Formats: sequence, C-alpha cells, structure tokens
Amino acid sequence: MIYLDNFRSTMVAPEVWETMRTAAIDEYAVPAAFTQCGTGAAELIERAQDRLATAIGALQNEVVFTGSGTEAINIALWGGAWAQTVDKPEIVTSEIEHPATLAVYRALEKEGCKAHYIKVDGEGTYDLDQLSTVLNEHTVMVSLMGVNHMIGTIEPLAQAGAIIAEASQRAGRRIPFHVDFASALQTQRLDVNAMKADLVSFSSNKIHGPKGVGALYVRKGTKIRPISFGSESYSPLVPGTPNTMGIAGFDKAVELLYATFDKDVEYMRALTDRLAAGIREHIPHILLNGPDGAGRAASHLCYSFLFIEGEAIMMFLDMDGIVVDTGSACAAATLKPNYILMAIGRNHEQAHGSIRFTLSRYNTEADVATVLAKLIPIVERLRAQSTIRPPAQ
Amino acid sequence: MAIKYTAKVIEHFKSPHNIGVIENADACATEGSPACGDEITVYLKIDKATDRIEDVKFQSYGCASNIATGSIITDLAKGKTIDEAEAITWKQAADELGGLPPVKMHCSVLAVDGLRSAIRKYKKEVKGIDYDSTLDVKTVTEELKHVLWPPVGVDIITLKLVKYIGIDQGAVKVEISINSDDKFLDPTINEIVEHVSKIRGVKSVNVENV
Repeated sequence: MIYLDNFRSTMVAPEVWETMRTAAIDEYAVPAAFTQCGTGAAELIERAQDRLATAIGALQNEVVFTGSGTEAINIALWGGAWAQTVDKPEIVTSEIEHPATLAVYRALEKEGCKAHYIKVDGEGTYDLDQLSTVLNEHTVMVSLMGVNHMIGTIEPLAQAGAIIAEASQRAGRRIPFHVDFASALQTQRLDVNAMKADLVSFSSNKIHGPKGVGALYVRKGTKIRPISFGSESYSPLVPGTPNTMGIAGFDKAVELLYATFDKDVEYMRALTDRLAAGIREHIPHILLNGPDGAGRAASHLCYSFLFIEGEAIMMFLDMDGIVVDTGSACAAATLKPNYILMAIGRNHEQAHGSIRFTLSRYNTEADVATVLAKLIPIVERLRAQSTIRPPAQ
Repeated sequence: MAIKYTAKVIEHFKSPHNIGVIENADACATEGSPACGDEITVYLKIDKATDRIEDVKFQSYGCASNIATGSIITDLAKGKTIDEAEAITWKQAADELGGLPPVKMHCSVLAVDGLRSAIRKYKKEVKGIDYDSTLDVKTVTEELKHVLWPPVGVDIITLKLVKYIGIDQGAVKVEISINSDDKFLDPTINEIVEHVSKIRGVKSVNVENV
C-alpha cells in the first residue's frame, strides 16, 4: 500500500509501537508519588512533557496530555473562553479551520458568544487586516491554525500573534490566542513565545504516534476552566487516569520527529515537488489548491482535476493500493463540497475534482513514480467517459 | 458505520458497460449538473418500426455509483421497447447492483431520469407524444418524488418532509420541515431547486424550511 493520507492519520512508527509495548507491560501503575511503580509512570509522563515543551520553547508544566487533538481543542476553546469574565463575549477564528474548532465555535455561538470568521485569500492565507479589525475589548478567544489540513497553507501566525498582542494592550487584558498545530507539527517548527500563543493543541497520530493521545500547551498564567471533572491527580484540566502507554508512544514519536526533522522536511518537499512536477507535465486542466512552493507545507499537495469527480479518482487509486483523500461532495458524509476549497474561491465543480496527497517521511521516490504511473491513465480514462469536456482549443 | 459499495457496483464502476457516445443518436438527454456534483448523458438508437432500443450508451461526470448506475440502467434498457425501458425504476436499478448506500441512492434516480428523459425526447420528437404537463401541484409533487433524503435513500414526499407546495404565475414555493442544523438540509434544498426548475413554466423556486 502507498499511503498518501498522512494529514488524516499516520502509520505508527515501529519504534513508537515498541516503546508503547514496553510502557504497557512495565508502567501500568497509576502515576503517583512515593512508590517505585507510581513514580516510574509519573516520570515517564514528565519526560514526555519535558520533551515536547523543550521543542516548542515552553516549560515542562505548561504541557498537558489529552485524549486527542480534538479534546485539546475543546479544553482550550471552551475552557479558555468561559474563563474570561467579559460582557457580550466575542470569539474569532477563520472560515477554514479544522471541523473540531468550528464545532466548538458553533457550540459557543449557541451559548451566546458572537463569532467572527475571518476570510482567506485564494491561497488560503488569513486576512490579517480583518483579524485586527474584529478584535476588541469583548474578544475572549482567537483560534487559528499552523497549517491548513486541506490545502497545506502555512499561515502567518507570528504576525497574527503580534496583532493579537497589540489588541490585548488596547483591551487592557490578555486576549487568549489558541493555535491548532495538529496538522503543522510534522513540517513546522514552533516557538510559542515568538508566536505569542497562549494555548496550542497537538495530535499524536499526525506524527506517527498512536491514536487516542493529544497535547495542550497552556501558557503559565492563562485563565482556563476545566470542561470535565474527576480525579485531578494528573491534571485538573484532564482528570482521570492518564493514558501512560499512549503518552509514551507520543513521546517517542516526538523524539523521532525532531531527531531528523530538517532532513525529513527537505526529503518530503523533494517528493511533493516531484509529484507536482509529474502531474503538471502529464495532466492538463488542473488547478493547484493552496500555495505553490515555500508557502505550502512540505508534505502536502492538493490538485483539482477538472471535468471529473474526486471520489471516482480516489476509488480507482484505492484499487491500485494508493490511499489519498478528496474534497468532493460525493465522498463527503454531508454531500457538500469541501468548505475550505469553496472559501478559497473554487466552485463546486473544481472542488469535486480535488485530490489531496499528503506524504510522510516513510514515502519513497518509487511511491511517487507509482502514483504518477497510476494516476495519469485514471484521469485520462475518467475524462474520456465524462459528460464535460475541456473547451475546444 | 462503514459505508461500502457492493462487489457489483465496483465491477460496473471498474468496467462500465455501454460507455461512450452514439453518433447520430435518435435521442439524447442530459440530467443533473456539474454544479450539483453529478451529470449523466444517455444516447439511444431506436428501431422505429418496433420502438425497440437497439443501442444505448452513456457518459458520466460523477462518482463510482454514478458510473455504476449508468452502466446498469443501460444494460437493463438495451433490447427493451421504449415503454418497457421507461418503466425501469431507480429501485430496480439499485437492486440490480445489489443495493446502494442510502446516501448514494440519488445516483440511481439520476441515471433513471437520464434514460427516461432520452425516451421522452424521442417520443416527443419522433412520435409526437408530449409529456410536458402543465405546472401544477401534482407535477411538482411528482418531481419531488425524485428528491431523496440522503440518510435513508427514500424520497421526501413519502417521508412527508414536504409541508406545502404553492404556485403563483410560475413562482414555485416549497415548504419543507427539516431540522435547521441537519447536515443534509443545504444539499436537499439545492436538489429541490434543481428538480423543480426543470418543470416547464417554472420561473423561480423558493424553498423554505419551516
């Protein structure tokens, strides 16, 4: 199988699985003080907190492990927004965020928050002028993402952070800034201080760690309320017994990520560039969704193949053992075209023909060659069958 | 829940029967639209003495089930008289494929609509039988039976999701009752507009969720 759907989830790295197996067998005690087995598990978690914290410029106790990226986002947005005691609360995000963020925002709207969804340009880059316009003394949360999962856009978060810091000064209180870094962690370095982020969420399964683990960075001093309740022996924000085995796996995945980070990013960039060049050379009538070159995450490529539909392309590739994703309405559970492609100005037809290729460090040049060899005739064949044709030259 | 296609659907998707164009077809019709996500064109060659479909071909812009249903309805229609072929239902086409996921049933409706449109065009142009009926509540109701509610794959009239149909000088108003945050509300409204707009005499379609 050639797996090119790594922005959805990744293969668990063999070393990660080995670490998890050991943790499951050796560290099954609940993290606790004084006893050897309890402190062993506690130290495992502290090491994991420390590693991630060090990588992002944070302190060890500013990182807490959660049950998923989605849970981290829920704690950050719901817990962060309601911790602010502000009249007529307003919340800010963009129209191209991950469904987890948008779902929390809709829930906050139902509870009476006024939401602003900032627009993006044709490449999916945030309209920062609009961001500075909507921030005011009522803003209780801003949530933006590091890399857009559908179109690979690397967002200008340092500038956004500066704008939010300025607005905070005007408001006379810190406006909390949450960054969804789940899709970005694989290819972007993060410095929470340079970005002036207060809250950052992560997901283990996007970097070859296990599913069922995420993490949340909470800057010291950030007001946040828990959204679930129970034994607080690990953390008041994530009550209950922590997933020691999962955290050990996530930790190993973080270790592996940074061990070869620059080399891997360069490698994935070379692979996606090669794939893009092959598509451009052999397949006419295509549209690149998202930025070209350095503005796009190194492992990400999303093309629309005009005059044909994406689910059909995806299924033919699947039969050839190649896994991709599509923004076609036909493949969506809602029968709606992908909202991010619509937000960057694609029409329904252009969104229908979209295929997202997201690579990992485990893909090879041979994978890219095979994908091109299979994709080109699939597109030709579906076009030959299609009711719509390119306009005559 | 895992949504999967049957082996028969995959077979017809991989190697669709009757794909292509008939030059100098006796009738040809296109249903759906690229904006709505799928479109099918059906071509017919008909023996005028016997009204039997000698050859049928189709083209498809759409997903796997769109291609598979086009393949199966053309298989079913080939060799039949135009009246027999016109009576093929979308349920029959889906059953022939071993079933379709409910959310994909509308593909079968589209394929059957394409075939029927081509047959009716032939009947009108060659035999002088005009199917286009007057714009009234009955016609609109009949057309809305072609709009399926995706979670169950059953039409919105049978499910009693349509509460009111009003017509005023070509302006059609359709009132439906669907939970306002239901994820299928918008695609369903689009499909109602697409279908009702096809009826002769319709100048505008206004769908309201009440």
